[in-house]
Amino acid sequence: MTETLMPGGGVARRPLHFIVMADCSGSMKGEKMQALNYALRSMLPHLVAWEQDQLQAQLLIRILAFATVPQWYVQDPVPVADLSRHWRNLEYVPMGRTNMGPAFRAVAESIGPERLERRALRPAILLVTDGLPTDPPGGFEAGLGLLLESVAGRSALRLAVAIGRDASSEPLDRFRSPDVPVLVADGTDEIADRLVTASIAVSRMSEVGADRGALAEQLLQAGPAARGADSPGRPDLEPVRFDDTIL
Amino acid sequence: MTTPSGLPPADQPPLRDGWLVLTASERGASHAASKLPNQDAVVTEPIESGGVVAAVADGHGHWRHVRSARGSRLAVSVGCQVGHELAGLLEDGKSVPADGDDPPDELPTASQVSPVQTSASQIGELVRDLLVPTIVQRWRSAVLADVAAAPFTDQEEDLRQDGDDATIAYGSTLLLAVALRQWLILAQIGDGDMVGVRADGAAVQPVPEDPALDGRYTTSLCGPDASSDFRVAVLDTSQTPLVAMLLATDGYGNAQIMDHWAGAFSADLAELLKERDEHWLASQLPAWAARCASADGSADDTTVALMLAPGLPRSTTLPSVGPSGQAPNVGSEETTVPAVIHADTVPGAQAQAGQGPVEPVTVRLGTAQPTIADPVSAVPEPTEPALIEPEIARTVVARPALAEPTTAGQDPPETTPWQVSR
Repeated sequence: MTETLMPGGGVARRPLHFIVMADCSGSMKGEKMQALNYALRSMLPHLVAWEQDQLQAQLLIRILAFATVPQWYVQDPVPVADLSRHWRNLEYVPMGRTNMGPAFRAVAESIGPERLERRALRPAILLVTDGLPTDPPGGFEAGLGLLLESVAGRSALRLAVAIGRDASSEPLDRFRSPDVPVLVADGTDEIADRLVTASIAVSRMSEVGADRGALAEQLLQAGPAARGADSPGRPDLEPVRFDDTIL
Repeated sequence: MTTPSGLPPADQPPLRDGWLVLTASERGASHAASKLPNQDAVVTEPIESGGVVAAVADGHGHWRHVRSARGSRLAVSVGCQVGHELAGLLEDGKSVPADGDDPPDELPTASQVSPVQTSASQIGELVRDLLVPTIVQRWRSAVLADVAAAPFTDQEEDLRQDGDDATIAYGSTLLLAVALRQWLILAQIGDGDMVGVRADGAAVQPVPEDPALDGRYTTSLCGPDASSDFRVAVLDTSQTPLVAMLLATDGYGNAQIMDHWAGAFSADLAELLKERDEHWLASQLPAWAARCASADGSADDTTVALMLAPGLPRSTTLPSVGPSGQAPNVGSEETTVPAVIHADTVPGAQAQAGQGPVEPVTVRLGTAQPTIADPVSAVPEPTEPALIEPEIARTVVARPALAEPTTAGQDPPETTPWQVSR
């Protein structure tokens, strides 16, 4: 065998940063918080399976718990398998409000210039909330503006899961990527399904060259069976096209 | 190091007096998994009177660009052709008229041009005003001719987007380097990397970055304003001596762990070049590309052209090279001068099966790892020829060997970058 010396610092898969913004406001108390924790725990094995199954990315996850103020629950990007092994439940904040603006700001800072690897795939951001934003006037807009002004935030796959139909609001429409609808969980029993669907969307739509429009149609507007939500790993979908396209 | 007579000491290998280009291309693991071909291409071509032209291109993988593998081959073919003509123009010591309108079908002949180009900025002007638009025009013409000769099949038509110009199906990047005398002329459209290596290990990246490239979208030869999307630079290597220049499609850079990998690459390669010859490099380059293209790397097609500058020790065990000035059949598979069997036709797994370098070891060289400071002792010289015999691009001669590259107190590179205009 001829040993190879390769100049440079070594090679690795491209990082895919996945940030979950979890609503931990006071209204999440009780059954909703339990359901959200269950859903997050259920989502992780799907992401682990996808990561093992594909060739392109190393999935790194962060979790931001937000209420009146945001607080990083998992601040540094960790491999999704590690988080799955060491999961601890999120807790709601008594009397906590649903201030999204500061949460958007925190996410924007975390993926700002020089914070993400240059070779990183487009990040994915998943917002899970049960209510309307309660920011002071202008707070939501300012925070969202910061996020969307950043290159990574603008190009990120931005998904929203609304717990309860009332939560599927105009503000969430402003946050989400244009080609993906808000996923609505009508009851707590549907939260896990929606998060699994979102996780599949994150993984598949983040693959290099993925046809996001087609995938959104396949994943987010089809039933659970079509989405393959009952079993971890890649659902049986059309092959993903690879690589880049023109500006 | 040269002796006063210009000859090397008797106990040292002779110094190479022309540029040498090594190339390798590997199909990405993700492309292999989805049964897509290697959509990269590479061509290198000697210039009769000295110097060399090298081009790499990355055909877009998105379904809209259903013929991008052909598009990238046309890109490197046209790029080398026009680069060769530019070299001829400069070699004749003539300039072009200042009042250029539309790009000509052919670059002007020596009789059509006026005073000598003597500065990087003047050459840069020539590149921007003539070379770039000529490449774009000829690439488009070549694409249209290809479509005329082989119209889109029904299956391809299904993949094309309504309203797409025919050239969209052939979308490709292009990285072109023309080395001539002291000039290193660089032109790039789309993603990929061009990294110059100085003897002291410093990296030189004369071509300005394009902030519009975000890893998902790229500028392209098939774009609506391709000429403006080109970024060009002219490096005076008498002011900024280089020992090597790397041209790489983005499969290479996207595999690198380090964010600013060019510096580490440059430092390590400069160290390697002190102890290793081009034969050894030719045996290694395919493994570098394969590593990057693997599932441990970017999983994307990876193609590299490593240009080695004059003045480096020349291997005494190189396979014989063709006569200088022999015009290759640019643009075809055969004209690519790979250091490894091209992954387009032979998947890497087959090409490497039971032979050649396997399990490449990435080693960070330099002061942080003193045990690697002596590469000879750290890694035994191969005792037998590479099983996949590398074919090495013709060594071009006839230019005076550059002075020994200095390592300190260098002036900033004399470059003429043009910012991307939109």
